[in-house]
Amino acid sequence: MIPYPRSENPAAAPLDIRVIGLGNAGIHLADRLVMAGTPGVDVLVMNTDAQSLASSVAPRKISLGQKVTRGLGTGGDPEVGYEAALESRDEIREAVEGPGLLFLCAGLGGGTGSGIAPVVAETAREAGATVFTLVTSPFEFEGRRRSAQAAEALTALTRHSQALIHFENDRMAELAAPRSGIEETFAASDHTLIACILSLIEILRGGSPMPVGLADLLAVVGGGSARALFGRGEAIGDNRAHEALERALKSPLLDRGRLLGETHAVIAHLSGPPSLSFSEVAAIMRELTKHTADDAGLFLGVTTSPDPSAPVSVTILGNYSADAETPVVPAAPPTVRAEPKKRQPLPSPEPADETAPVAVAESKPLFPEAPAPEEKPARAARQVPPTPHEPKPAAPPAPQPKVKQETLQFESVARGRFEKSEPTIVEGEDLDVPTFLRMRGKTK
Amino acid sequence: MARADILVGIEVGTSKVCAVVGEAGREGTMRILGVGLAPSRGVRKGEIVDLAIATECVHDALADAETNSDAEIASVSVAVSGSHIRSFNSRGAIPIPADRFEIDEEDVHEVAVKAREINIPTENHFLHSIIQHYFVDGQEGVLNPVGMMGRKLEADFHIIHGVKTRLQNTLRCIKENGIEIDEIVVNSLASAQAVLDQHQKDLGAVVIDMGGGVTDYIVYENGVVRHSGVLAVGGDHISNDISLGLRIPLTRAEKLKVEEGSTRLGVGTPGEMIVLKNDAGFSGKEVEREMLNTIIHARVRENFELIKKQIEQEIPPHALGAGVMLTGGCSLLRGIKDVAESVFDLPVHLARDADVSGPKSVLNNPQYSTAIGLIKFAQALRAEEEDPGLIGSVMQKLGGMFRRR
Repeated sequence: MIPYPRSENPAAAPLDIRVIGLGNAGIHLADRLVMAGTPGVDVLVMNTDAQSLASSVAPRKISLGQKVTRGLGTGGDPEVGYEAALESRDEIREAVEGPGLLFLCAGLGGGTGSGIAPVVAETAREAGATVFTLVTSPFEFEGRRRSAQAAEALTALTRHSQALIHFENDRMAELAAPRSGIEETFAASDHTLIACILSLIEILRGGSPMPVGLADLLAVVGGGSARALFGRGEAIGDNRAHEALERALKSPLLDRGRLLGETHAVIAHLSGPPSLSFSEVAAIMRELTKHTADDAGLFLGVTTSPDPSAPVSVTILGNYSADAETPVVPAAPPTVRAEPKKRQPLPSPEPADETAPVAVAESKPLFPEAPAPEEKPARAARQVPPTPHEPKPAAPPAPQPKVKQETLQFESVARGRFEKSEPTIVEGEDLDVPTFLRMRGKTK
Repeated sequence: MARADILVGIEVGTSKVCAVVGEAGREGTMRILGVGLAPSRGVRKGEIVDLAIATECVHDALADAETNSDAEIASVSVAVSGSHIRSFNSRGAIPIPADRFEIDEEDVHEVAVKAREINIPTENHFLHSIIQHYFVDGQEGVLNPVGMMGRKLEADFHIIHGVKTRLQNTLRCIKENGIEIDEIVVNSLASAQAVLDQHQKDLGAVVIDMGGGVTDYIVYENGVVRHSGVLAVGGDHISNDISLGLRIPLTRAEKLKVEEGSTRLGVGTPGEMIVLKNDAGFSGKEVEREMLNTIIHARVRENFELIKKQIEQEIPPHALGAGVMLTGGCSLLRGIKDVAESVFDLPVHLARDADVSGPKSVLNNPQYSTAIGLIKFAQALRAEEEDPGLIGSVMQKLGGMFRRR
């Protein structure tokens, strides 16, 4: 048997990837990326502050807005950043031309990131690149002005980039232990961002045996200024599959896996040595689906590296969209709604019995219809059929005259606070009278 | 940053008066600087019933907004609502004189006037005439006819009007505070600006703004307003129903609705009771949870069914690809989405405001969407005024909204 080396395939169609680090935060990230060593990825940095550019290790550097800022930075004003971007529009255009895929990394809130990033994204998109924007938003304690600037830039970036991955610094701080040093905290945060970029690149470079395509990726992280859900775990040893997933889920950006249940699509990317078995992949995925919503799209990518000592790594990427932040808990199972019979026969006569005397004792009775004892069994029987769901169609036309009389009787008393206001009559019904009272009359 | 373009929107609602101060940014972006809120009194079913008290509430809300946004408010855009507001679709047509054939701005204006030349009660006032489509020589779906050749120009408009005196009451309680009025916008139209984007308008969508006293709704199809309406039923009715049904005071009913109320039926344990605490914090009366939910469910379902009936007459459900957007205070009610879904048989979303930035708590609260929509509306109109040559692009931005007078 001749083994067919499928793994060698990726080299055949290399994906041109460029990473642009913008502003101080972006440069910081780009530097770490260069130092991490990513063959085939073109790293470029831009800034308005010449000094920070000079200290960067990136192979290509572009100084922006030399006339506007004289190389001194923007002083935290996005307007100045925007001016600088306009001045250096040609340089920006040159920088974004070429690669099919562009990662734009920036920290929002300051002048350069917030002011220039939208322009770069827009220009890159015009040049035909797919733009992945990776941004961090400022810490809450940095003040309202910075977060407002960040939010504005985020809106603009959403418009101009195909995918936006948004990390909240406040959340990133949770990556490190609360008492750990500030260096350590930032390092943990940087480490996560780098891991995110690297795994995105790995995912996109793809290859065998199960690649995740660009379209799949865009389906998960495309559009919306949502918050990124990201977790990555690596493990070796006997229980490596389980442990790697555990570590990935432990990421605070996933809120220990809880947030996964509220996202509409998740990418899971597994990579490992050639010995990574199918049953391990299946076990990881089975466990992962326990955390995701039933209807969430799940994109699975598996790559193997030729190195037999490589750890098994699990990367989980999703977007926590603003839509999902509704206060409503996930809907009750639809079967409950579909089968009205499951409901209780509601306004059961017992509580009415208990409360009626109280009401009489305390005040004028609100329901003159309530104390009609011989009518009660009949009414209780009436409430069992699930008619409340279709008040109008269910109305039998025959007993109309009698119904009318009863409605009239309610009307004089049961309008409550709308007693003296102009009645709202729609289709012959006084909508100020409680619906359930009117329905009771109808179902007779 | 410069604060050149401050826009303020105010909604004098039945349960609260809400003012939002925003700053217009580049490329039509909007940043919320602050909001002002005051509980509303003297307003019932979206209309003023006590001018003096309502004026006071407006003052409180505006003062609150000024403090929170650190801006001085001189003029506001105001949202109006109430059961007297009516709408219909109307078509106007004019011939183009034989000596030119080219349609110009004036013709477009004239056809809009023609479309309005229909009988509305004399005491009523036109609020909006929103362009839907132009027809040039019978050719359908023309978005901007200026410069086109033709012999006959027709235009479909969605026209919204209301009783003049009743509208003036709302305006009065703002003017009494020495504030000028920029724009008068119907509630539903304003809400739609905040919660729908152009794509959703193109797909077709219903916005239901269920507030305290009234429910406003508006339907977009193919990017244009096709239908709108006001149903004078809102959250107050739910509270009133609870109060009457469970025989508890109105204020307690309101509290119970917010704290415990849900539209879901058959989810609690059978016979589950909620203990009401009296003012001293001791437990008092008990009410059955299922009973409470049934009362709420019946009202909410009926409300949606009435709206659906109205919409169905004009627009087939398959034309509403983006589904239903729920906003307004009542959209905070637990389980309301499920009820809407089962009534409309369309995807239902709880609306959150897009394309504005500012304090998260404001943007995520559906109670503010009308006021936010107001300033977005005013912003778009302002852009149109500043740049009359670009009417076409503005019209697209606004979903074909076009307003004169």
